[in-house]
Amino acid sequence: MAATRLVRILLVTPLFLFASVPQQPREAEKDTTAILQANYLYNIAKLVEWKDAGMREGNFVIGIIGNANLYQELIKQYSTRTIGKQPIEVRKLPRSAEVERCHILFVGRSDLALLPEVYKRMEKQPTMVVTEYAGALDDGAVVNFVKVQNLLKYEMSLHNAQKHGLVMGLTLKNLAHRVEE
Amino acid sequence: MNMARRILIALIALLAAPWLAAQGDPLVEALRKYQAGELAEAMTLVDQAVRTPEHTEDPEAWLLRGFVYKDTYKTATPVEKADVFRDEALASLFTCMALDTAGTYRENAKQAYDFLARSYFNDAAKALNDMDETRALQMFSKYKEAAFRLDPKVELKTREVEFTNALGTVYTKRFNEDRTVLDWFDKAVGAYKVVMDLDPENYGANYNLATLFYNRGVYNIQRINADDEIPTILQIQEASREFFQQALPYMLKAHDMNPTRRETLLGLEGIYYSLQDQESSDKFRQLFEEIPPEEQR
Repeated sequence: MAATRLVRILLVTPLFLFASVPQQPREAEKDTTAILQANYLYNIAKLVEWKDAGMREGNFVIGIIGNANLYQELIKQYSTRTIGKQPIEVRKLPRSAEVERCHILFVGRSDLALLPEVYKRMEKQPTMVVTEYAGALDDGAVVNFVKVQNLLKYEMSLHNAQKHGLVMGLTLKNLAHRVEE
Repeated sequence: MNMARRILIALIALLAAPWLAAQGDPLVEALRKYQAGELAEAMTLVDQAVRTPEHTEDPEAWLLRGFVYKDTYKTATPVEKADVFRDEALASLFTCMALDTAGTYRENAKQAYDFLARSYFNDAAKALNDMDETRALQMFSKYKEAAFRLDPKVELKTREVEFTNALGTVYTKRFNEDRTVLDWFDKAVGAYKVVMDLDPENYGANYNLATLFYNRGVYNIQRINADDEIPTILQIQEASREFFQQALPYMLKAHDMNPTRRETLLGLEGIYYSLQDQESSDKFRQLFEEIPPEEQR
């Protein structure tokens, strides 16, 4: 399983790391995907319950590895909001698998190489790992952004959610492109 | 006094010599006033002259009237008043040419007529610069009318394309100022489509129309905020997808016309990105990065 995951990530990673990584960053204002992802993350956060009592106190932390535009959009539109009574705190995390505790951890496609280690470290943590590559649910992601008929949607794994102590709301399941039981 | 005016005066003076002695001929008096630079008086007299049986079908009288009105137009304010003088000048010069079967005054009349017709086009361009599309359309319409009156077979496609492209840009700017007014968007689309009907290979119209559609799609997504829930996000995406899909063929065509133009490469990169086609977006981003900016080539 771990070997398959590594092979898949290695197959996907070089395409982004070496072949075609944009050298100039995309203008945040025109990064439509980042705008959509930010809203999805906010809505998903509202529709998930963290069973761990410790996660229902303090700030609601959304950690971002890579994807500066998504971080910027979350700060701009959502950082003054709350999830329940928990104020949202958006953190731009360093490019490292040594991730601090957060409710949602998004790893962008530019940092897929970190994922095997991230999954390993997050295995027992009440953190929802969200990413954006094919096969991510098999690897351990709870939510994965997918492109369907030119639209950005999400898929999710209830099995992975359960492992992280997350209860995914019915609405979230109904609106998902695909739900893995 | 400019050369055309000196020639005109000399010409009229020569041809009108028999009348110079004729006291009370308003045309002679009008010429004198015109020579003296007294345009208001010259205008009254020449208007009077062309109403007399002697001069009503006299090309020379209409030529002088055309020049008097032309010179008056050049210094008149406000523009609405100047426009009236210009219209009168053109009508008089046209009448002169129509009556002048021998072609005696044709060259002078035509030169002045062309100058005035061109001034309509220039004013249309200026009005577009000032974002006054109503006046621009009015001026361009007068330009076409003047050009067709002189030569019904005149080829105005180049001018029409140039003007309509610029008009599309003004409508686009208007739309960008207030994106709730969709009328501007529709007008901009209409303008670029007119250009493409006239000149399907027009790079500017293809690029601008693609950008217009693309920006509209992006704008829809930019309006998303924390109050929008997932079903709304899907609806907004679907609406934006329509615009991105409409933008694509025009941007591809602009790219085909000029494959090394960086702006179209970036445009395609953006459209594919918004259509969630990462592979194509990356391809065009890479092509964009490979081509140095214009100033470095």
